[in-house]
Amino acid sequence: MIRLWGYLAMALVLVVGALPGAAATTKTTVIATDLAFPWSMAALPEGGFVVTLRGGQLIYVAPNGNQQPIELSLPDLYATAQAGLFEVLLAPDFSSTRELVLSYACGSEAANNTCVVKGTLSAQAPYSVFNTHNIFTALPKKAGAAHFGARMTWLADNTLLVALGDGFVHREQAQQLDNHLGKIVRIHRDGSTPNDNPYKHSQASQIFSYGHRNVQGLIYDEQRDAIWQHEHGPKGGDELNKIVAGGNYGWPIATYGIDYTGAKVSPFNQLPGVKAPLYTWTPSLAPAGLALYNGDLLVSHLVGRRLQRFQYSNDSWTLTDEYLSELGQRIRAVYTSPDNEVYVLTDSAEGQLIKVELP
Amino acid sequence: MLRVLLAFFIAVVGAALVGSVMQTQFNLAEITALSVSVDMPTRMNTIVHDLLHFGPVFAAMLIPTLLIAFMIAWLVAKRFTRFERWWFIVGGGLGLATAFIIIDSLAPMPTLIAANRTTLGFVLMSATGAFAGWIFDRLWHPQAQELNEELPK
Repeated sequence: MIRLWGYLAMALVLVVGALPGAAATTKTTVIATDLAFPWSMAALPEGGFVVTLRGGQLIYVAPNGNQQPIELSLPDLYATAQAGLFEVLLAPDFSSTRELVLSYACGSEAANNTCVVKGTLSAQAPYSVFNTHNIFTALPKKAGAAHFGARMTWLADNTLLVALGDGFVHREQAQQLDNHLGKIVRIHRDGSTPNDNPYKHSQASQIFSYGHRNVQGLIYDEQRDAIWQHEHGPKGGDELNKIVAGGNYGWPIATYGIDYTGAKVSPFNQLPGVKAPLYTWTPSLAPAGLALYNGDLLVSHLVGRRLQRFQYSNDSWTLTDEYLSELGQRIRAVYTSPDNEVYVLTDSAEGQLIKVELP
Repeated sequence: MLRVLLAFFIAVVGAALVGSVMQTQFNLAEITALSVSVDMPTRMNTIVHDLLHFGPVFAAMLIPTLLIAFMIAWLVAKRFTRFERWWFIVGGGLGLATAFIIIDSLAPMPTLIAANRTTLGFVLMSATGAFAGWIFDRLWHPQAQELNEELPK
């Protein structure tokens, strides 16, 4: 009888473990604590990490967890609510040039948007970023402190994609090709515009794709030569997309979400000429970070307070595993280091940098 | 008391219905302005969806707003009895406009109700509060000639 119960228990474990989206156990190691609303991170080749804090600080976290502020001057930084310092991305040739790019909210309460600067990180600690200069300013500047996008990724040709938001109250502008609201833009590292960008409007020649609400995940997949992206829907309708040059991703004319008030933003989920999402989250989990790990996609969630893993097949992604829900933390970012280690940043006034060992 | 409660209930429901249908038209106008055609069945489906989902949310905003606005209107009407109906109309409209401003300053998003992003939308949505004021006073305290009105045959 006892053996029978044992077999039944084992069978139950196997069945539950095989279910898509089943919570899987992971080993976590807290590297650093008391990081005030960390937003993104990058591993330095000499060891340790550069971490952005939304309030505007750039921090060096040593491998042993010790923290040191990195000197950085962003005179036009606008930090409040969702606005602040966002992504740090090392240049593809960082080892030789020490160049990095930073995205942040620039301007004032009345007139702001997303800016990108390029700078050079000093060779050794105590670190500082010098030679900073602006390489992109999203226009028009608008009021309010919501929906800045600001995730970035390098493409194979060393051009830079910068994801942007619609500014919340300007959602219809995501469909207009004469501005940067609700777009993904592509620029050279010096800020110039590549000649082969898909749209040529004189005021927004940097546009690569449009119809986005608030992009919070963007990564170039070298293995598949593809760009993966996720963005926040309103109430429901968070999307995972494959980004192609010139693509219209639908916001706000086609969406699986509705407004926070319950009203429909659009009657349409899909429309001709609009790229359909590969995966949608309804209700919203607020995906906030995106990384590749052994060919799989990792998505961190704020509201969902977990890490999800997707496997690729037939040009689409299938949810296979969920991790870290036991932390009960909003997870702002997920990052895979060059040595293939996975890290997450939790989103709170006492945010943590955590190393995650996935099964 | 029952008359007051019933009048208030009908005023809230009336304003929520009108406000819901109106904000749907603003949202659909923005979609059609982007060269997306919206046929009549789609428009009707959207109106019904919003009545069921936006309507209750709007009613929840209207209840505390109109309670305060109508109490102030009632106090003013006690002093200036001649314009009682107008105090409730103005009170409802100004009250709802004030509520929108307070909600937008407190909510994480700059403008909670998308129709309120334009001046015209803000004025018309606020006017549903004025409509509620008219309904409430018309039912709670009908004028002499209104009591003598014959029902349509």
